[in-house]
Amino acid sequence: MLFPPASGVGVTGGFIIKAPKVIRLLRKGCTNRPFYHIVVAVSGNHQSRPVIEQLGTYDPMPNEQNERLVSLNFERISYWIGNGVTFSTPTAQLLGLAGYLPIHPTSYISAWRNRQKLEEEKAKELEISEQKEANASQ
Amino acid sequence: MCSLPLVFRNINTKKLTHNYIYRSLVYSSIHYDGKSDPGPLFFNEEVQSLLKLLTRIDYNKVFRKRKLGTKLLTKPDYQFMTDEQLKESINRARKKADVLLQIPPVVKVKEINPTILSKDSALKGLLTSKIVFTDITFGVQNADRIIVVRETDGTLQEADWQLRKRINQTYFPENGRLLKPPTMFQDTYLENLLDREEHEFVLDRACIQFDPDEPEYQRISSITYQHINEKNLFHLLRSTRHFGSLVFFLVWNKNIDNLLLDLIETSNVNEAAQLIALYSKIHNTEFDGDTVLEKVESFTKSASNKKGALELAIQAYKEVAKSKEQLEKGVNAAHGITEC
Repeated sequence: MLFPPASGVGVTGGFIIKAPKVIRLLRKGCTNRPFYHIVVAVSGNHQSRPVIEQLGTYDPMPNEQNERLVSLNFERISYWIGNGVTFSTPTAQLLGLAGYLPIHPTSYISAWRNRQKLEEEKAKELEISEQKEANASQ
Repeated sequence: MCSLPLVFRNINTKKLTHNYIYRSLVYSSIHYDGKSDPGPLFFNEEVQSLLKLLTRIDYNKVFRKRKLGTKLLTKPDYQFMTDEQLKESINRARKKADVLLQIPPVVKVKEINPTILSKDSALKGLLTSKIVFTDITFGVQNADRIIVVRETDGTLQEADWQLRKRINQTYFPENGRLLKPPTMFQDTYLENLLDREEHEFVLDRACIQFDPDEPEYQRISSITYQHINEKNLFHLLRSTRHFGSLVFFLVWNKNIDNLLLDLIETSNVNEAAQLIALYSKIHNTEFDGDTVLEKVESFTKSASNKKGALELAIQAYKEVAKSKEQLEKGVNAAHGITEC
């Protein structure tokens, strides 16, 4: 098979039935324009290998209305969960934000770090402005 | 140096002579957003049949050649047929026309208040833009599809209808519908189109672009109907699918005088009676009188806004009918036929 379909080739061969599988992102964009397919694949397979099934898409670049679009085939995702599939961290994060899985701890950690960073920046700005005022009064 | 200002002045006057500034539309949009829902009345069988009768179907207009750029023109095909075959093919054409003339539904403006599914303030700072999640499970209808939004402040809520429409169009595009509504529906362009009598084009395009329960659809259609009613351009929509909704709009808003006048002036008194029957059905009133004309007269007396003009038209119609009768009698007498 020279060009396997992006929608996946299904479970081919006997060894895939028992092989551990993972739902993960597969980069499909081009240079400077990331776009991801959400796919089921044999875990550990290289990203150039054909996937078992495509379950959705994820466009990480915000559109005109400042929205990022994610599409998910929940029926098939449920089926694969029933087959004992695992999730990569980014997909688990996305599914957590969608309200399908519990929210991933990584989401809470990065949210907390971002907030921390913002506060530090604000404190720095305040310091700089206070210093400027002090210099001006001298 | 002296000539420079003169040149500028010339340019300025030239610019002023062009009429670039359009006046804004004089019609205000009228929505079906009151307490009562027009849907059940519109889908009533009696009302539907009356609306279809008033459409006055002309098959030459229904099946006319339209240069939409979607089909190649083909040579006409002439066939010899027996009477039975002819009847069958006419029936087939009638069924086809019924499909083409299906009246766009008249329903109340929709109100969907998105429900909030969860609020998680610990997620504040994670996102710089919203994320929209769409369920693309096979075989789910556009209306039933699950579409949720994770806001930047961490709340998870259902998408409002504008977003739903945009997302459905992105993942499951409908033919002819654009992601952004075309500029022709903006006031200045819309008015230009209406002045060029392109009402059918406007309504057809609005039918594709919007759903019938969207406020934007009802704005555009109501403005178009008001323009037609004011300019007496009813012939533009006859034998099209939009005439039924036009009549329903006028009857619902108690503004049928122009249409009634048009019907009487063109001696279509039976249609006038059907219109009044529709009025009494929708507004639950009765107009007494045995003949068609008596009913029209009682309507003008009790419910009309243009009494004078309507009474004059009825009088004129009566005189024309009388003179026609006399002429017929004369012709009959000339042929030697006398009534017993």
